[in-house]
Amino acid sequence: MSRLYGDSDKYGDQCGTAIVEAFHGAIRELVRRRYVESGQAWNDFVFGKSFELITAQDFAAIDRKLLDYGHRYAWSALKSQQERPEAYVAAAGIGEDLASFSFEHPEAPTAPVDAAGLELRGCGDNVVKYDADLVGTARYVRSSATVLGYLENGVPPGTIAVIDDSGGTLTAPILEQFAGVLCAGGTVRSHLGILTREYGIPCFMNSKLSGIREGDTVRMECTATAKTAEAYQKGVEMTARVWRVVQQ
Amino acid sequence: MDLSYTQLLETNNLIQQNTDETYWLCLTRTVQESKLFPVSPYMILSYFMCFYRYPSLLRKIERHMKAEDIGDRARNMGIKIQNPAMGWCLPSFYLLGREYLIAMGMIRPQDAVEDVVYVMDFWKRFELAWHRNDGHMTNRDFGHRAQVLPERKLQIFHADMYDCVEGDALHTAAQAFMAATSQYGFLVSCESRIALHNQGPYRLDDEREMIVRDFMDLAEGDYPWLDGVAADMPYNNLTVPMAVKGCHFNIIDDWGSFESQPEFKSHHMVGVGLYTSDTLSEGHIPVGMGSREELTRTFEMLTQKAKDATTKLWQRIAGWNRDQMLDAGAITYFSIIKDLAHVAGCYAMEDWMLIDERAERFRPLLNDEYGNLSLWEILGPLSNPCQRTNEYQMCQHANTPARMYSLIPYSILKDGDYTRTVGGLAPGASYLPAKEDRYRTTQGVLPLAEYNRRAREFVPAVCGEDYKYLCESWLKYHHRSPEAEALYRVEQRESRLLANRGAGLRRADVEALRRG
Repeated sequence: MSRLYGDSDKYGDQCGTAIVEAFHGAIRELVRRRYVESGQAWNDFVFGKSFELITAQDFAAIDRKLLDYGHRYAWSALKSQQERPEAYVAAAGIGEDLASFSFEHPEAPTAPVDAAGLELRGCGDNVVKYDADLVGTARYVRSSATVLGYLENGVPPGTIAVIDDSGGTLTAPILEQFAGVLCAGGTVRSHLGILTREYGIPCFMNSKLSGIREGDTVRMECTATAKTAEAYQKGVEMTARVWRVVQQ
Repeated sequence: MDLSYTQLLETNNLIQQNTDETYWLCLTRTVQESKLFPVSPYMILSYFMCFYRYPSLLRKIERHMKAEDIGDRARNMGIKIQNPAMGWCLPSFYLLGREYLIAMGMIRPQDAVEDVVYVMDFWKRFELAWHRNDGHMTNRDFGHRAQVLPERKLQIFHADMYDCVEGDALHTAAQAFMAATSQYGFLVSCESRIALHNQGPYRLDDEREMIVRDFMDLAEGDYPWLDGVAADMPYNNLTVPMAVKGCHFNIIDDWGSFESQPEFKSHHMVGVGLYTSDTLSEGHIPVGMGSREELTRTFEMLTQKAKDATTKLWQRIAGWNRDQMLDAGAITYFSIIKDLAHVAGCYAMEDWMLIDERAERFRPLLNDEYGNLSLWEILGPLSNPCQRTNEYQMCQHANTPARMYSLIPYSILKDGDYTRTVGGLAPGASYLPAKEDRYRTTQGVLPLAEYNRRAREFVPAVCGEDYKYLCESWLKYHHRSPEAEALYRVEQRESRLLANRGAGLRRADVEALRRG
């Protein structure tokens, strides 16, 4: 069996995650096999026969092997899951089950209802500090079908959109109509953070939420200090709170 | 090409600079994500394309125009040869493709060495020219600041912008325009920020700063997915000089993003202007700048066009399959430096808008989970085996024994065991509809052949042989000379307040003219 250059790595061992190690390990084995088959010196093989011998079919076989072991990929773009449902974990909280769905982030701070009728259900990184907190209606926006519905019928006034990702494209045609945004990903410098700042829409990024259902009245602590780049770099916690309003 | 020790030392230094800054940039933003686009998979696909194609395409461009000459042109307009395209994406996309292939065992750090040396040298020469007025190579070098513009252009932006305050019609219209166009830019760019750029800050007085904001690739142009939906967008590139009061832009990074203290809010904006430009324009052309009422109406008109185009484009994209989304995203990322070819007059659709067949092989690997995790590993914990260094090492920012991008081993100068290049261009293909032959420019909508012809023949006056070396250091001591007077008057031709004012004005003089 031929040795690859990386086989004698003094400091590197394996990748940090099982998935990446599985893929890269399988690719290294593939390269090793094809290199031997070529009968060439590495310097002739690497940008020569390797282009013919290492093919898309080889990479598809690596993907197939992992699925055959029973692994199902986590998805981030809904289209990925919809086109290959057999390869990805099932999508929850996207369609008819939305009424019973809620984000359940283990790190979300929670507390019982206080005297003011506020039940702590999470926190997030405040993009911009405003003069007053925001109270609105939580509505999950997790698919292009939901966006299309709002595009055709309008976003109900007072909507605080609860969004998975930090991107700015899923909600592009309707973002301006949101009263507020609770985003479960990203940082204040992510695309959604940039856009909500431009629109003047209160927004928490990197939100950790628990038990907030579609249609709940929620309050965002927009008066909290905005999180800075230095805080991210130094690992300083600067969070703003999210409450469910149980009674006004 | 005979490699020298000096070349390798410099190349490795340039690689390391990108290692250090990439980690910082990514640390403060986390991984990009989208429920609409498979972002990480398309980014990885683009990195492979960059590794395989950039060396050939950059050499092709330099057969028409040198990197440093294009860098000089870049100061004269707001197109995608600023940041993030040139400050970070060119070197880092290329190096990320290389690092992925090293991590997979498909290449070694000493493979394609002449390509690596050449790409990094191209980047260095461009950056030094673009930044020549501030004397740095990158924004990072400058403590995250970019003061690339000469006084003569800053004076025009300063003089001709209109004051505004929160709540007035111009302020409202300008803010709405920037929000809507930013959003449109993210969608055009498949969830990336590469349609947006900020440079500065520039000081207007003790209380006010100005940044220059560019919104790029908005009209029917290079991207096939804008054919039709962007037909009504009258300008491909728009530049907004924006004055603020009460906040300081403490970070303008090599992604062209800004951060301020206190955080920027709309009420801080106290002045705006609007311009368009491209490789066929004599610098920045005023748009709607005849009066504040005209500018207000222009912002409102453009905002509506951006919103209309956003809705149409979103509906188009929502109907795409995953392969089309993957192609569009990868092409957007890979082609971020395509405007180099436009300036050189050698742009070819098949060079920039297709997936290279060598990169295409990897598509079956690019599921969402592998995409997200592998990107996180290569940019965050730097946990690929090839990224680990000896245990005494403490990398910048993280203090871990790791290096994002592998250096070229100097041993190749002794044993000669390396390969020179990945080779020339390979064919490409795409799942997207073919590009229609319409390109919106400042000289009208042109077919590509005509666009290239005009680009090859056109030299902006301030970039011509008479003026190209008349720099800010020269101007300091020659502002009373006929050459300086002529140079300033060329720049001032379309200025509302400074036309024919010449080279003698200081910043206070400009402000006095504004106040009438």
